[in-house]
Amino acid sequence: MGNFQDLKNTLSYIHSELNRIETMAGTLSTVERDHFNKLTNFDHRELMDIAVEEQSASRQLGTIKHMCLAMAQKIEGIKNAIDRGELEESTQHDQVH
Amino acid sequence: MIKFIEKLIRSAINETVDKSISRAIRDQYTENLFEMVPATSKVGPTNLMEIAMRANQGTPISRPLGSPIHFSPWEKILFNPCHLFRFPTPENVGIRTSITIGHRARKPLTISIPIMIAAMSFGGALSKKTKIALAKGATAVGTATNSGEAGLLEEERDSAHLFIGQYNRGGWMNTPDKYKQLDAIEIQLGQGAQGSAPQRTTAKNIGAEFRDVFGLHKGEEALIRSRLPGVNSKEDFIRLVRRLREETGVPVGLKIAATHHLEKELEIAVEAEVDFVTLDGAEGGTHGGSPTLQDDVGLPTLFAITRATEFFTRKGVIRDINLIATGGLVTPGQMLKAIALGADGVYIGTAALMALVSEQMVKAVPFEPPTSLVVYTGKMTDQLDIDQASLNLVRYLNACVQEMEQVAITLGKTALTDITKSDLCTIDPFLAKATGLQLGYVASENQNRFFEETEPLLYNDGTFSESQRGDQERLH
Repeated sequence: MGNFQDLKNTLSYIHSELNRIETMAGTLSTVERDHFNKLTNFDHRELMDIAVEEQSASRQLGTIKHMCLAMAQKIEGIKNAIDRGELEESTQHDQVH
Repeated sequence: MIKFIEKLIRSAINETVDKSISRAIRDQYTENLFEMVPATSKVGPTNLMEIAMRANQGTPISRPLGSPIHFSPWEKILFNPCHLFRFPTPENVGIRTSITIGHRARKPLTISIPIMIAAMSFGGALSKKTKIALAKGATAVGTATNSGEAGLLEEERDSAHLFIGQYNRGGWMNTPDKYKQLDAIEIQLGQGAQGSAPQRTTAKNIGAEFRDVFGLHKGEEALIRSRLPGVNSKEDFIRLVRRLREETGVPVGLKIAATHHLEKELEIAVEAEVDFVTLDGAEGGTHGGSPTLQDDVGLPTLFAITRATEFFTRKGVIRDINLIATGGLVTPGQMLKAIALGADGVYIGTAALMALVSEQMVKAVPFEPPTSLVVYTGKMTDQLDIDQASLNLVRYLNACVQEMEQVAITLGKTALTDITKSDLCTIDPFLAKATGLQLGYVASENQNRFFEETEPLLYNDGTFSESQRGDQERLH
C-alpha cells in the first residue's frame, strides 16, 4: 500500500512538472513566433534564415506542448487507476500466477 | 564595324527564315521537315523520345521521378474562407502543425509538421550525401525522413532525429539489429510508381558502400522481390505486424501502391491492427522506373485518400490508424487538401529533392540534369554541398507549412488537423458525388436539387439515368 502511495506521489510530481513544461513550451513558442515576425521585417538574407529557424523552433515547442499534454493525460489515467485499486489488483493477480 | 556585323547577321537570318518558310510551304508534306511538328504533337514529345529510347535499348527504360500525368484533379477543389458567419483565426494565434502517428503504439511518433520526407533509398535511388542532407533538413524542422528500400545507413540514422525505416522486399532492413534502431517501421509491399513489381539494381551500379549497407557480396545484384520474403498469406502479414510491434514498441505501418482493390487490402491492414497506412498514389515518384508502371498502374492519390478515409470511418478505426498520403503532392495546397480529405500527414519526394538541389542546380545545368547531383549513379554527387542542400530544404518546408497556416487562418481553424472536408468545395459534379464534397456551383441547401435536376443531363450520352430507366421499364 505504501509503495502505491509513493508511486502516486511520484506521478503527481511528474504530472505537475509536465504541466510546467507544457506552459513553458507554450510561452516560448509564442516568443519564437514573435521573433519570426520581427526578424522578417528586415530585408537581410541571414536574418531571414534565423527567422526560419525561429519559426521552426516555435512549431517544435508547440509539438512539445502537445506531447506534454498527452503524457499528462496518461499519468492522470494511471493515478485514477491507482485510486480505483486497479493496479493493486493486477499486482496481486500476478503474484498468484 | 559592329553595325556592319549586325546588318550581316540580320540579312543572313532573314534569308534563312525566308527559305525555310518557302520550303515548308512548297515541299510535299511527306518530304517536309514540318511533318515532325504534327507527328510530335500526335504522340507527344515525351512519348516520342521514349519510343526512340526503347528502340535503342531494347529493354524497359528507366524514367526518373515518376509519371508526368496529373491523375488527381486537385485544381478542382478549393478551400472555403470565412469572414462573418464564422470568424477567421486572429493573427496572433499559433496554428498547431504537429501530428502523432501510432496512438496505440508503446512509443508513438510525434512530428512537428505534417510533411515528411518520402522513402527514397540510399544506393537504389540516392547518394549518401543526399540522404544525409534530407535527414538533416527533416531534423531541423522536427519531422521524419524515410530509409526507402535499403539497409540501415548509419550516417543517415545519426543525422535523422526521427527515422522511419522500411521493412522491405529486398530484406535489407529486416533483421532486429537494424529495425530496432527505427522510430517507426513501414512494411513496404508496393509503391505508386512501380506497383508491387520487382526491381533490380545491377552489380555494375553497386559500389562498396552500397554493398556494405545492403549486405551484398561483390558482383551480387540488389533485388527487390514482388513479395515480401516470408509473407505469402494474410496470416503471415498479421503475424509479422504483431511480432514487430511486440519486439519494438514503435508504430508499425503498411505501405502499398494505391489500387482499386484498396478496401480489400485495407481490410487486412485493419485486421492486423497496423498503426498507420501509407498510400502511394499513381502519381508517385521513383528514382527510375518503367513508364508503363508509372503511367498505367495504380489509383490517383486523391481518390485513394477519400476511399481509405471512408473505409476507416466505416470500420471505426479512423482514430487508431493514421493515414499517410503520398504521390504527386508538389504544392502546399495539394498537401493541405490531402490532409483536409482525411490524411493525417503526407510524404513528399520529388518536391523535396527539387528544393534540395534548387540553388545548386547551376552546378549541373546546362550540360547535365540536376538529378546528377543527387542520384546514386549521378556523375556529380560529390559536388553536392550537404549544408546548403539541407538549408534549402528547411526553407522550403517552412514556406510550405506557413502557406498551409495561412489557409488555416482564413478557414478559422487553429490546427492543420482540424481542417476537414467541410472546409472544401469542388467545381466538378462527379468529384462531388465521388468524394462527398459539396459542389461549389450551388448553395449548400441546393446540393440535392442540383443533382436531381441535372441527372438527365449527366446521362445524355445515350445511357439511362435511374429515373429514365424507371420510365423505360414502365413503358414496357
